[in-house]
Amino acid sequence: MKKNIISREQMEEVHPQIPKAYDQFTQGRISRREFIRMATLLGMSASLAVACGGGEEPAAEPAAAPDTGGEEAAAPTGGIKRGGTWTGSMNLQLLDHPARLSWVEGANIVRQIGEYLTETGPDNITRPYLLEKWEASADVKTWDLFLRKGIKFNNGDELTADDVLFTFGEWLNPDVGSSMLGLLSYLKGMESVEKVDDYHIRLHLETANIGVPEHLFHYPAIVLHRDFEGDIIKQPVGTGAFTLEEYAEGERAVFKRREDYWRMGEDGKPLPYLDELIYVSTDKDAGVAALQSGQVDTLYDPRPSDFQALKDVPGLVVRPVSTAQCLVLRMRVDLEPWDDNRVRTALKMCQDRPKILQLAYFGEGDLSIDAHMAPVHPAYCEKDIPKYDPEGAKALLEEYAAEKGIELPLKVTLATKNDQAEPEIAQALKEQAAAGGFDISLDITDPAGYWDRWTEVDLGITSWTHRPLATMVLPLAYIEEAIGAWNETRWFDDEFTTLLREAEATLDVEARRAIMCKLEDIMQERGPIGNAFWKSIWNITHERFQNVKAHPTAYDLLYDVWIDE
Amino acid sequence: MARFLIRSIISTIVTMLLVSMALFFLLEVGSGDITVKILGVFSTPEQRASYRSQLGLDAPAWQRYVDWLAGNDWRVKSRVGYPLVTIPNKESGEAEWWADVEGQPTRWKLEEGQLLALKRQGDGSTTEQIVSGDWQTDESGAEFFWGVDTKNNAVKWMRGEGAEVWVLTKAGLRKEGDGPQTYIPLRKGLLRGDAGESLQFGRPVSATLWSRVRNTAVLAGVAFIIVMPLALFLGIIAGINEGKLLDRIISIGGLGATATPEFVTGIFLILIFGIWLKWLPAVAIFTSANAIFENPLLLALPVMTLTAVELGYIARMTRASMVEVMDSAYIRTAIIKGMPYRRVVVRHAIRNALMAPITIIMLHVNWLIGGLVVVEVIFGYPGLGKYIYDAAIFGDFNAVEAAAMVTVTIAIATRLIGDLAYTLLNPRIRYA
Repeated sequence: MKKNIISREQMEEVHPQIPKAYDQFTQGRISRREFIRMATLLGMSASLAVACGGGEEPAAEPAAAPDTGGEEAAAPTGGIKRGGTWTGSMNLQLLDHPARLSWVEGANIVRQIGEYLTETGPDNITRPYLLEKWEASADVKTWDLFLRKGIKFNNGDELTADDVLFTFGEWLNPDVGSSMLGLLSYLKGMESVEKVDDYHIRLHLETANIGVPEHLFHYPAIVLHRDFEGDIIKQPVGTGAFTLEEYAEGERAVFKRREDYWRMGEDGKPLPYLDELIYVSTDKDAGVAALQSGQVDTLYDPRPSDFQALKDVPGLVVRPVSTAQCLVLRMRVDLEPWDDNRVRTALKMCQDRPKILQLAYFGEGDLSIDAHMAPVHPAYCEKDIPKYDPEGAKALLEEYAAEKGIELPLKVTLATKNDQAEPEIAQALKEQAAAGGFDISLDITDPAGYWDRWTEVDLGITSWTHRPLATMVLPLAYIEEAIGAWNETRWFDDEFTTLLREAEATLDVEARRAIMCKLEDIMQERGPIGNAFWKSIWNITHERFQNVKAHPTAYDLLYDVWIDE
Repeated sequence: MARFLIRSIISTIVTMLLVSMALFFLLEVGSGDITVKILGVFSTPEQRASYRSQLGLDAPAWQRYVDWLAGNDWRVKSRVGYPLVTIPNKESGEAEWWADVEGQPTRWKLEEGQLLALKRQGDGSTTEQIVSGDWQTDESGAEFFWGVDTKNNAVKWMRGEGAEVWVLTKAGLRKEGDGPQTYIPLRKGLLRGDAGESLQFGRPVSATLWSRVRNTAVLAGVAFIIVMPLALFLGIIAGINEGKLLDRIISIGGLGATATPEFVTGIFLILIFGIWLKWLPAVAIFTSANAIFENPLLLALPVMTLTAVELGYIARMTRASMVEVMDSAYIRTAIIKGMPYRRVVVRHAIRNALMAPITIIMLHVNWLIGGLVVVEVIFGYPGLGKYIYDAAIFGDFNAVEAAAMVTVTIAIATRLIGDLAYTLLNPRIRYA
């Protein structure tokens, strides 16, 4: 493996911030992951960034394989075999306009025929994909996207800025109804999207945002052909490695290998290695049996119970991945008794986190602080995991009770849904909080019943999905503007909001981490949520498949998967 | 015989009508708000109401039933003022509704207060044309227009007061101005071969139902062909060996198999043959539409499960019937007369002993067709039972009704076959 040496001048050429970040990295102040993310964010190609960072950690990915690297397992040299069929079990629903996707299963279908401008890898680093690179201005308000040249759609047309502009037009057109519209709220319609030349698009942001590359990998953000009419099944045109042969909702989806795909495999011929992909629509239980008997090779997003059933089956490889998915214990701060921070703090102290993780999720996750920032977020600021402290909680509650003239235990109702691990968390908390002076009664309904009232209950457990950056989730739920939308706790804090806005415009990871430290402190100290753990998810695939990646949002990335019988 | 057939056909039609009505009103009462299932729990009551009216669910139940049965284009035609026709879409082949304006298929849409006529050209494309002069005036002086919109509804627009409607997209709902005041989803009705659109999949029911019917027919057919001769044979053997060891083995074995519910049998078979020994496919994974023909082994475990449940029951019925016949005076006479035992059994006993099992068997064909739900769900088998189950859970009215009509037809057809089989077995029974 050759080792690239990149000079400071070369770094400087790309962006003046990069050498500074490199210093931080060599001094050990930021991790290699953060350095690569920042360098690519500033416009350095991922291969160069990896090369810069690779020198410090010899066990890094091959520098010669740009953009496909990132998985920690080093690819075996040579020995790649071509051919074969990959079969997966996944629910298949109605599918039409990719920009309108609202479920990851559908995105996994479209992902095989179409591609994104960027890609957030399993390591949570975002790299250019259909883009060659991107560049952000120092104020993070102007973004230059440079399209890779020579990429062809499966109908023979070349991918140019016109296709990208058409796709942005679909996202920003309210008539299409894409969830990209809300994500790209910093663009003021198509007048903010400028075509500089055939391979260069410039975005003019109304407000600074560092999340643009991540947003371009939001699952509906497939790049469409300029003549797309609104139904991907009728018009399966894309730049992806496979072509769609058949799609029958509720039954199956069949893909065939494309001969003229733009990315090259390690053997110097175009990817993909596999000849055929088949998704079969089954119930989860039937999918587990099919995986055990070898009828399918993998199962979409296994539940914890599926993980338990499959983890010891010979021939299957379980690849866990940490995520920012969580089950948040949230309190309505506009209602008694949760309007008093002492009560909120007391309940947070009553979480015996390792026990909750063990009981609810078989220990498969990472313990969390009481803030909605996860260790997988690049700018996460390391904090100690709070200890279980029922005595401390009781002292706080006694103070509160004396003031209010009420008797302990404090009677409260905890609402949640019977879905993933919520009932187990609720039950564990009920027992752990009894020692702290709470008397919790449980109100557990089916998922639909809880989603009917999730923003309304005074104490509840709500599931939140993974987002690659903390700055993508916090504005959804913890600012004043989000009350009435997704701010389920009604909590907001002026200092918190100001710092959050600052973080959203801060490119420098180290500087952003400093802000995150404060944000995490505020949330822990007076915030509205308890959070015991971050869920892990698993990719469970037959051992003969190589190069399989477990993605924190259960995306199937199959273009370079191959079979070793 | 002819009169008997005619009477059967009439009773079939009456039964289907009654079943369809009963189902319609049961779903009406029982399935809750379908719009919540389609729009998701994050939708607002306002959005749900708007979507209900777009599905035509704000019409009274009896009217929706008549529309489902007989269609509504004949009823709506006078409002639009032109004949309504269906033309297959060039790409999908699915029928689209158009108004036939002097030989020119036309639809309309309202955009920013402008009424636009979309005229279909010979090659399937459309041209737009502003037709502001077509507004009509009602008694109160308000201007209105009845037309066909682009989503196969007859709709009424009011000039200057485009209703705000919530339109469902995969990313959620969005609000649209210029919406019509009234929607009538156009349909031909079941009597004219249109089973309507599946609310779950957004495609015509007929496009998804038939492959499921075929899969179930294959599964049930194979199970039937295996179970029936085997069960009758074992029952007869047990019957003529009453009280002997062979009879005990067959009777107790059959009882055990029947007493075990199919979900237990099915799961044990999956664990043993599918996962442990890996001899047979554990579940029915259809990697192509014709997977059961390409790899008939997929049927093995579902058929074994059905066999286990059915076999014992029918064998025991046959045995009881056989024992009774073997005890009767004419059999004793035949034996005393010196007739060979084999001839007594084959010529005289079996025919009479089969009367009861035939009834059971014919009733069980219905069970096989309609009641395969459990087996199909365990094995993930894409058949009619699972189709009905999924549709009923979703409240997909059109799909449930269409599937139910298929099962009713099968039920009545098998009863007819059973009746005919009686006359062949017992010449004393004749249908006038």
